[in-house]
Amino acid sequence: MIEVLTLFLFNIVIYSIPLLYATCGEIIVEKSGSLNLGVEGTMAVGAVFGFLAGCRADSLPVALLVSFAASALVGAIFCIFTISLQANQNVTGLTITTIGVAVYFFVGNGLGANWPVYRDCTRLVAGVSDLNIPLLSKIPVIGKAFFSHNILVYLAVIIAVLVWVYFEKTSFGLRLRAIGENPGAADSLGVNIVLYKYLHIMAGSGIMGIGGLYMGLNMGGTFEGSNCWINGYGWIAIALVIFANWSTMHAILGTFVFGFFNTLRIYNMPLATTFPKTMGWLSSVPAQVFSALPFIVTLLVLVISSIKSRKSGRSNAPTAIGVNYYREDR
Amino acid sequence: MRLKIIRRKETRIVNVILLYVIGIAVSFVLGGIFLSSLGINPVVYYRDMLTIGLIGNYYPAKSIEGLLKLFVPLLITSLALSLAFKMKFWNIGGEGEFITGAIFASWVAFKLGDSMPRIVVILLMCIAAFISAGLIGFITAHLKVKFNTNETLVTLMLNYIMLYVIKYIGETKADWNFFLRTDSERPVFARFPENAVMQGITIGNFKLLYSVLASIAIAVIVYFYLKRTKQGYEIAVVGDSVNTARYAGMNVYKITVRTIFLSAALIGLAGAFAAATSGTISTDITNNVGWTGVIVAWLSRLSVPVIGVVSLLISVLQYGCQAASASYSQIDHNFADLMQGLFMFSILAAGFFSHFKIVRTGGKNDD
Repeated sequence: MIEVLTLFLFNIVIYSIPLLYATCGEIIVEKSGSLNLGVEGTMAVGAVFGFLAGCRADSLPVALLVSFAASALVGAIFCIFTISLQANQNVTGLTITTIGVAVYFFVGNGLGANWPVYRDCTRLVAGVSDLNIPLLSKIPVIGKAFFSHNILVYLAVIIAVLVWVYFEKTSFGLRLRAIGENPGAADSLGVNIVLYKYLHIMAGSGIMGIGGLYMGLNMGGTFEGSNCWINGYGWIAIALVIFANWSTMHAILGTFVFGFFNTLRIYNMPLATTFPKTMGWLSSVPAQVFSALPFIVTLLVLVISSIKSRKSGRSNAPTAIGVNYYREDR
Repeated sequence: MRLKIIRRKETRIVNVILLYVIGIAVSFVLGGIFLSSLGINPVVYYRDMLTIGLIGNYYPAKSIEGLLKLFVPLLITSLALSLAFKMKFWNIGGEGEFITGAIFASWVAFKLGDSMPRIVVILLMCIAAFISAGLIGFITAHLKVKFNTNETLVTLMLNYIMLYVIKYIGETKADWNFFLRTDSERPVFARFPENAVMQGITIGNFKLLYSVLASIAIAVIVYFYLKRTKQGYEIAVVGDSVNTARYAGMNVYKITVRTIFLSAALIGLAGAFAAATSGTISTDITNNVGWTGVIVAWLSRLSVPVIGVVSLLISVLQYGCQAASASYSQIDHNFADLMQGLFMFSILAAGFFSHFKIVRTGGKNDD
């Protein structure tokens, strides 16, 4: 009984972490005033290249570095088009998703029989094996569920906290927020808008890439010819940014909620049979409802928050989001 | 010496065409590099792709029919999306609206297909799809105008919700579920009654479906709607500036809701056509047309005649990639997506250089 509950909580964390990476990355991007709809593609590129390089070198640091760099490069493409070439952000983002997922399949199918065998990469596998945090992992139920995960799980939480500190406590973060709110004003204060946006969007995209790599490793590292590893998580992340109200600290909680839905989809039967009285009804809910729940909840959050902010005039969304900045139009 | 970006005062059509040609050429070269990296001869591959497998094919009519099956939904969806985009309304919910249309059309097909004459069944399917998908558009537009709810994200969420709705219908064996075959243990979508299947004019061994003619008619109507009617003009004004429209005394709410209803409804209609053409539905009935439509509409700069040409070319690309990938194991239809992305980036870059130019400024301090 306790085991089922522990395993359930453990898996919520497992499912929420890629979303946390992607959401943190997208929050950084959106704080700079850009709406990047290319999260799915950015993650796919980071996943496939990070995974391949990691297997080749049989090393987790290499995998992390390459997935970060590959996705940062995708972020740079987004910047070139939307910042330097003034292209529409929605269209550029969608194109990045199209092309990123296509690159994933192109590289994956192209390798064919030469696809690396993940299990043989012993050091990479060891690198992402579960680490027990001393003392904390000994706590019953919670210990196993929250303090006995692989290193990428902890890294995601650390990144989320650091990003929050960066935005709230440093002058760099403040300037970036200023760009997202009112680029004209930031420009007149001498902030180098182009440089700031490039660096932050690239960093944000790189973090998304690590989320992609995590998903690749989590899926057992076999290339899936029919479904991309990312499988819609990039879109959920875009939704989560709103759900988390553009705060990475809220994102930790938000991704947990979304991970909960995802885990319910897989664990509804064990839960229903272990706790027939309280959770027996779970077995009668169709799996598709759990899959759709993140999107339904986000839709509701979106609608409710817009109605509320219409009334109170307040929202955490960067004011200048989605609008390209062209100095001479100021 | 420094470089500075300035906006062009006028754009010459010759320059624009030249930039586009360069852009497309660059995409083909980049795609060729990708192909070469897999050891595929790009020239041979492109030839197979662009001729959509017609050379040496015993049944060329079948290839053309297959191509048109991709073309019709893409054309209608792109036209519909361009209506919304002209108003700067980001309807990226093509996938969800398409699925909605397909579901409601097949509802009609299963319920009435046996009891009514063919033309009535098909018409009712189209109407059901039109209204159901249109209502989704209505809701998003209402939220956008009343509460400034971000329409990009609302339509995005609806795509996934509708995807899981059709998956639910397609994967749930139950007494109420008339969408599925009754004689199969596994959940499989049933075939429509014969009266609910799209018919056409037979020319030799080639069958020209009525949906093809209808889609071309829709393109002509949309063209005149945008160019020649008061409502089309209103769309242009609202798209240019909501405030201008308000000062001119236009009812922005009415115009937005009406246009987005129409946009979504047309995509639903495309879903009904796709369902009626294949005589059944499936969970991947959209064939990503909601996403590809965004790219087509934007590649065409929202011009109706150009959308016609571009959606045909993209259909050739997609069908050609399917046909060509039969002879190359390393590559599949996703190469079409890769090429679409490359085209899109090239055209976005070309768009920049047709609107802006980079000039040198003399000294260090003179800007």
